[in-house]
Amino acid sequence: MTGRRVSFTAGTLLLEGTTQRDDVRSAGGDWVWDARVGAWRCDAVHYRAAVERLREVAGGCEDRVPAWRSVRWPGVDIHTLRDEQQAAVTAWSPTRQGCIVMPTGTGKTEVALQIMAQTRVSTLVVAPVRDLMYQWHRRILAGLGYDAGVIGDNVFRVRPVSVTTYDSACIHMAKLGDQFGLIIFDECHHLPGPVRQDAARMCAAPMRLGLTATPERSDGRHVELDALIGPVVYEMPISAARGRTLADYDVVRIPVQLSAEEQARYDGLSREVRGYVMRRREEDPKYGWEDLCAETGHAPEARRAMKAYYAKKAIEDRAEEKLRVLEDLFRLHALEPCIVFVGSNAMARDVSRRFLVPCLLSHCGKKERLEVLQGLETGTYPALVANRVLDEGVDLPEVKVAVVVGGTASSRQAKQRLGRVLRRSGNARAVLYEVVSAGTTEEQRSRHRRKSDAYQGTRHRRI
Amino acid sequence: MLTRELAIAEYDAGRIVPDRLTRTAHAHYAGHAERMLLVYRHGVGRTRRQLHLAVKSVFADEDDCPSRRIDAFCKLLDDASKYGRDTGGKAAALRRDVFHRAAALHPLVRKVDRLFEHAEAEVKAQIASELGRPWQQINDELFADVFEFQRLEEFRGYPDGPALLARYNVAQVQAALFGAVSMTVDATDDFKTILRYAKLARMMHTIIRTGPGRYRMRFDGPASVLRRTRRYGAAMARFLPALIACRGWRMHAVVRTRRRGFNVRLNLSPEDGLNSHLPPPEDFDSTVEEKFAAKWGTERRDGWLLDREGEILHSRQKVFVPDFVFRHEDGRTVLMEIVGFWTPEYLEAKRQTLRTFREHRILLAVAERLGEQATELPGETITYKTALRIADVLERLEIFG
Repeated sequence: MTGRRVSFTAGTLLLEGTTQRDDVRSAGGDWVWDARVGAWRCDAVHYRAAVERLREVAGGCEDRVPAWRSVRWPGVDIHTLRDEQQAAVTAWSPTRQGCIVMPTGTGKTEVALQIMAQTRVSTLVVAPVRDLMYQWHRRILAGLGYDAGVIGDNVFRVRPVSVTTYDSACIHMAKLGDQFGLIIFDECHHLPGPVRQDAARMCAAPMRLGLTATPERSDGRHVELDALIGPVVYEMPISAARGRTLADYDVVRIPVQLSAEEQARYDGLSREVRGYVMRRREEDPKYGWEDLCAETGHAPEARRAMKAYYAKKAIEDRAEEKLRVLEDLFRLHALEPCIVFVGSNAMARDVSRRFLVPCLLSHCGKKERLEVLQGLETGTYPALVANRVLDEGVDLPEVKVAVVVGGTASSRQAKQRLGRVLRRSGNARAVLYEVVSAGTTEEQRSRHRRKSDAYQGTRHRRI
Repeated sequence: MLTRELAIAEYDAGRIVPDRLTRTAHAHYAGHAERMLLVYRHGVGRTRRQLHLAVKSVFADEDDCPSRRIDAFCKLLDDASKYGRDTGGKAAALRRDVFHRAAALHPLVRKVDRLFEHAEAEVKAQIASELGRPWQQINDELFADVFEFQRLEEFRGYPDGPALLARYNVAQVQAALFGAVSMTVDATDDFKTILRYAKLARMMHTIIRTGPGRYRMRFDGPASVLRRTRRYGAAMARFLPALIACRGWRMHAVVRTRRRGFNVRLNLSPEDGLNSHLPPPEDFDSTVEEKFAAKWGTERRDGWLLDREGEILHSRQKVFVPDFVFRHEDGRTVLMEIVGFWTPEYLEAKRQTLRTFREHRILLAVAERLGEQATELPGETITYKTALRIADVLERLEIFG
């Protein structure tokens, strides 16, 4: 049919040159008639399927969508892939849409670079946080010789190959969704969220790759990845990775006692929170945390209970004893680089001020982060402290000692934190210390954490 | 504007009611507002954290105040403030220096023994003397670039307490709109301003005429036709202050709650008494318009009544609100647009618009000094020198029969 044309606009596809009577839905797809502009509209994510179907069933149409182009890599320098990495590339290649599941530390980035090297098309890499975004920038420069654009962290430099974060991608995809032929979602379990999905939904890229160590989400939304990226095309179980690529590791749990004064305050606050909730439950047996939050505005009592709860958490998080235990661990591993993960920015600064070791927090500029990471690698710095910033995927120098001080219990976080520590390094066994306040909810979180798959078969010992 | 986390609202019979401070129920807030402004006016040099603590202490004895409301005030005050940003990276340089000096002495211990001989206190004293400053000062500046430790440089502020409270009330409605999936405005006035700001906020519209000079405008975004999405809620929030500054409107929005995904309604009209920080729209775009409307008055002339911005012409996403509508008692209407002295780009856009709406009865009043350029405008035209004459206009109106 003549006069029909598909174009990209504001994160959607518009099919113009048609009327409402031309029921293009019979050609399949998810077209909806948009009377506001007098054309059929659908999400850009359907681009490949929709245009194919229109071509087959409805006699074709002019395709004005692709603004992407082919790319010449200035200098490809990628190590030969290991068998399982090559298997991942091979599994993705026939459909060029799908997710690859590989444990942290098994070289997801190399797999993605290999795919980029083969597809030679405008590519956007979406990473969870800006540290990872910059890391992708470095890896693309090193592996493909290409100085990628950066979209995010107050930078807006769009190039045919660019890196960005989920938040920026969600905001800007309505404008940029036609610029890339291949889109790569790193740690793609971050994608399904009602609005964040727009990062995928508003992108027309016909080739889509998702990378993750842990595709499952506690809210069950991971099934949506099928529609947004494609099905899982390759999966490598974490047990296959341990002992071969990753170092063996011990998990050592160190309970710390709150000081007498802290414990007294902690117990007082616990009583306050529990007492309030119990009183409310007498009236409403289903009374829960969300109700408490909702009540804080007009019930000063609820507000006090909420305040008590946060004060409790702060005592756990910043227990003085933790700093003492850290000193012992630093003494024990004085000659080895050590990474300390903490539960809050305030605790990170406490540790940093106490031991005068650098901390990586969200305020750190790109330059400082790089300097600190390289400093740990070259031995300039004996240790570093990190909050959630480093939770996922940031390449760290090979450390054999890590300390987790506090933190939350999700299995995904645990796996990825482990992955950071357990880089292969000769025959040495890696050690992960967990420092938790005894007799508090932190202890429960630690127990929960050890249930996750990543900890199976590791030894636990108490000091 | 506030962030999503600072929104406070109640739900009542399918409606969302954003937090609202009123003169009657919250009379004592007038004093709180003045004290908060004092904290910031005298706060230059203090850190963000100190200022926020000071604002919190204003509410120390206030029973009726969720902590989110205090945080919201802090955000609104910060929005009108300028903080030092340490763009030169002084704090980062200090950290690098201190951590480098301490690295060789790791670990800093509380008590020295034979293996570890670097005591925390001694090392810090030593670094302080190397840098020639007291340790306390170094400790204070070590993280001076962290958001909550930034120092206030300038407070541009709100003129007075009531202005701060008025902004708070509008800000809470805006925050409720972050979750909006669509917005509908029933308007009888100020069409031009409403549509102009809707366009500036990059919203799409669907316009329905509900009566003479009455319109229903539905605002949302491109993907709204595909699914109920909150994506355009922020645009609706940006648009709100402009709407509040207008007259003759009722707004209702469909808001999707975040936690459970219910749809609730948000209703608003001038009777709610919200005050915009934007000035009300000018009645007339030019003195020519203003003088003509004044001369014509409110009575019928040869059967014609004059109505300012009385109709909206629309075709898909193009809209045109002519300056005047003439309504005859026999039911005829004629639109009039005044074209004064403008740029070539403006004239070109006007030409396009008139071509789009050429089936409507539009009379163009064109300034004589436009000369040649004006002849390229399509449709019925009438020229004027400095003022538009009523007799000339009445004569032309009859042409439209």
